[in-house]
Amino acid sequence: MTATPSSAGSGPILELRQATKKYAGVPAIDSVDFSLMPGEVHAILGENGAGKSTLTKVMAGVVNLSSGKMLVEGVEINPRTPNEALQLGVAMVFQETSLVPTMTVAQNLFLGQESYFNRLRGKYIAAQQFLQSLQFDVDPTVVVSLLGAAKKQMVEIARAVLHNAKVIIFDEPTASLTPEEKKYFFDLVFNLKARGVSVIFISHALEEALLLADRITILRDGKLVVTDVKANFDRARIVQAMVGRDLSQTLYGQRKTTVRPAGKRVLSVQNLRMAPMVKNNSLSAFAGQITGVFGLVGSGRTETFKVVAGVNKRDFMHGGEVLLNGRPVRYVVPASAVRDGIAYVTEDRKVEGFFETKSIADNIYLGLLSKLRGKRSLVSRTEAANVGTEWIKLLNIRAISKDVKAIELSGGNQQKVVIAKSLIQEPELIIFDEPTRGVDVGAITEIHELINRLADEGKAVVVISSYLPEVMALSDRILVQRMGKVVEEYSALEATEEKIMYAAIH
Amino acid sequence: MIGALLDWKDRLLGRGDASITVPVFDGALKSNNLLEDAPVFATLDAPQDLATDGRSLFVANGMTVLRYDLAQAGDEGHALATEVHRFESAVSALACLPDGGMAIALGGTEVRILGGAHDGRHWNAVAGKPLHAVNAISVRADGQLLVTDGSSEHPVEHWKNDLMGLGRSGRVLELNLTDGASREIASGLAHAFGACAVGDSVWASESWGHRVMTYGGAKGTRAVTDALPGYPSRISPASEETGGGYWLTCFTLRTQLVEFVLREPAYRKRMLAEIDPQYWIAPALNSGNTYLEPMQGAQLKTMGVVKPWAPPHSYGLVIRLTPEGLVRYSLHSRFDGKHHGVVSAIECQGDLYLLAKGCGRILRLSIDAAQRSLQK
Repeated sequence: MTATPSSAGSGPILELRQATKKYAGVPAIDSVDFSLMPGEVHAILGENGAGKSTLTKVMAGVVNLSSGKMLVEGVEINPRTPNEALQLGVAMVFQETSLVPTMTVAQNLFLGQESYFNRLRGKYIAAQQFLQSLQFDVDPTVVVSLLGAAKKQMVEIARAVLHNAKVIIFDEPTASLTPEEKKYFFDLVFNLKARGVSVIFISHALEEALLLADRITILRDGKLVVTDVKANFDRARIVQAMVGRDLSQTLYGQRKTTVRPAGKRVLSVQNLRMAPMVKNNSLSAFAGQITGVFGLVGSGRTETFKVVAGVNKRDFMHGGEVLLNGRPVRYVVPASAVRDGIAYVTEDRKVEGFFETKSIADNIYLGLLSKLRGKRSLVSRTEAANVGTEWIKLLNIRAISKDVKAIELSGGNQQKVVIAKSLIQEPELIIFDEPTRGVDVGAITEIHELINRLADEGKAVVVISSYLPEVMALSDRILVQRMGKVVEEYSALEATEEKIMYAAIH
Repeated sequence: MIGALLDWKDRLLGRGDASITVPVFDGALKSNNLLEDAPVFATLDAPQDLATDGRSLFVANGMTVLRYDLAQAGDEGHALATEVHRFESAVSALACLPDGGMAIALGGTEVRILGGAHDGRHWNAVAGKPLHAVNAISVRADGQLLVTDGSSEHPVEHWKNDLMGLGRSGRVLELNLTDGASREIASGLAHAFGACAVGDSVWASESWGHRVMTYGGAKGTRAVTDALPGYPSRISPASEETGGGYWLTCFTLRTQLVEFVLREPAYRKRMLAEIDPQYWIAPALNSGNTYLEPMQGAQLKTMGVVKPWAPPHSYGLVIRLTPEGLVRYSLHSRFDGKHHGVVSAIECQGDLYLLAKGCGRILRLSIDAAQRSLQK
């Protein structure tokens, strides 16, 4: 079922015909017909593993079609690399950053365009002007590894725009942006559209699709379900098409009517400092409860809990205290925190969550080994295989086998691997940082059920999320963080989106 | 030697004991105004402690014991006081006995029984040491008395000196009404203030340790609840009708400034020697009486509201504990309120009576209404 916008006067700028891509014989996309008109904003939606990323990666030259055709402006092409695709006018902004972390923002922007002699100051000035024209508040002289996820995303977007691409593909472009940054992004998309650039974006925020897109394509299990103009969609129809079942009533639709009572205080953070992100921050997490932490990007949520988990270090002098079950702790490496029963499920799974070239089973087994370090002298392949099989079943990880490499999984299944890697450590305190970022609606429900189950089992659970409905749906108590410290606490019963957002920005 | 080096390192880097942090008011300790908004039942000039026999409320007020007949108290909560006892020195603690008598602590140095089967029995010393600062009395189910002697160095009213002197001479005592015998349950406590029988064990507040300890029983000596943000005092049982557990009062809060001063012996010594106690950098039962007081550290306002974790000079805090000792909820009078320095909370006929010593008021709070308000 397809439709094209009536406004489109010419042929498609980009077209896929019967596009099929198979991994180990299993189709990730199967006979998909897709067209993108000049100046069109086209949203691609779909459940976990629906084939959205594969479809766009085909267009961007990251993967090649097993069968079918790809045409740009009516000419059949077959880009072998992202650079080839870029030369043909198709650029992709990846969900997980593809920037070089050791280079500055300006160097990343102009990467591949260097001349024999490079005047760094000139590049910085040009980058500054360009970033300002996009209203992106990013310092071009900063090394990328020091940037947060939102700013990295901005640099990615800026790089694609800089290359004057005719088609720009965004994979979850707003996942890590603050509401204000999202507004800039939306303006940017409308600007691109006005300049005749076609935009494809994958998003799990259905409202964004309904707001931005001219047409919406929905994939399920690698097949195209429907392509239609925006006006013919509403939220319920999109969700129904994505998952084949009605989730709109169960996911974020219902308001909490009860909260779990607090158990013992498992975590107490007192006057924590980690300049410049965390400033005199104090909070607690209790057993048998889900503590939601909301804050805009840059509010120091992730940094606070990375200190708790031993990923980051607090200030060397007067850094405050972290108490686990009343005992002061100061971890130099995460392994010590793991052994003390703290699990941190990262927001950046590709970089910090798993070894992408290792199998599902190996990744999960590594989680177990980090808990048992010193008690095992030999690695057991049999145990790794058993662990992999067990956790694939427990968390419903959709993969051909336990030996599939983590990188070959879809975002939602990768997230489940990261969660399994943490849960196998039998933690007492579990910190989920953006647990459903880049995860489809179906997997979100499964992950939410898992988080609730952990709290019901008496574990102290912390959920950091930038998505307000998620925080409100999951949490028993909600902490709002702003400028490096917790500024407000609400019971889930009293919290409203307005109250939380007001506390987060005022 | 190694300990001294580690201590020096901690002081240099602001770590360990020198990190000077205080626990945060969050979760069940999240602040509210329930204590501040509680109706005033009575205002007195020198209230010290509350007790009840189930029908009347007894108040130790200076050198007298007053009785309020709760049956006479209307919805407004006011009732006429009747003086039932007058003594030669101030009453520092009292408890009603099951046989109709009353146990009274006089001047903190004597526990005396008035009325009932053991009328006239008294104690001035336990385990060879004189009583010095008796500040709480409670009655066990078997009729024995549990008494806390806050300090062997400073009298009851000089608790600030005990805190600033890092006192560790508090005791929890058991007095046998039948034969007059007595024994120490625990000693060397950092200001014992309030005890309560829990099954076959005893819970006792160790104020300067910021914790409630349990003694005896199957699990032995351990902390029931610790790392409290305030200095705990008297404990009393809560009725099963309102969910069971215990009421714990915290008469003032810990602040980073006071914690810092407590780690600076030279400064403290000089402050104690040269400054009027009213102006010490120390917790207080009330504040805002003079500009010479240490400045309130609670000027942090966000969204037009004084933040609940802002550190005050004086504060009102009552904690409801579960039978296991977990914090269930709390009642607050924040730094800008009046009902500070709560030292006693007892439940009677579905209401909670609270003694806010800082302002000399007895408050009456409907427990049902408070719990409903907290669930909104």
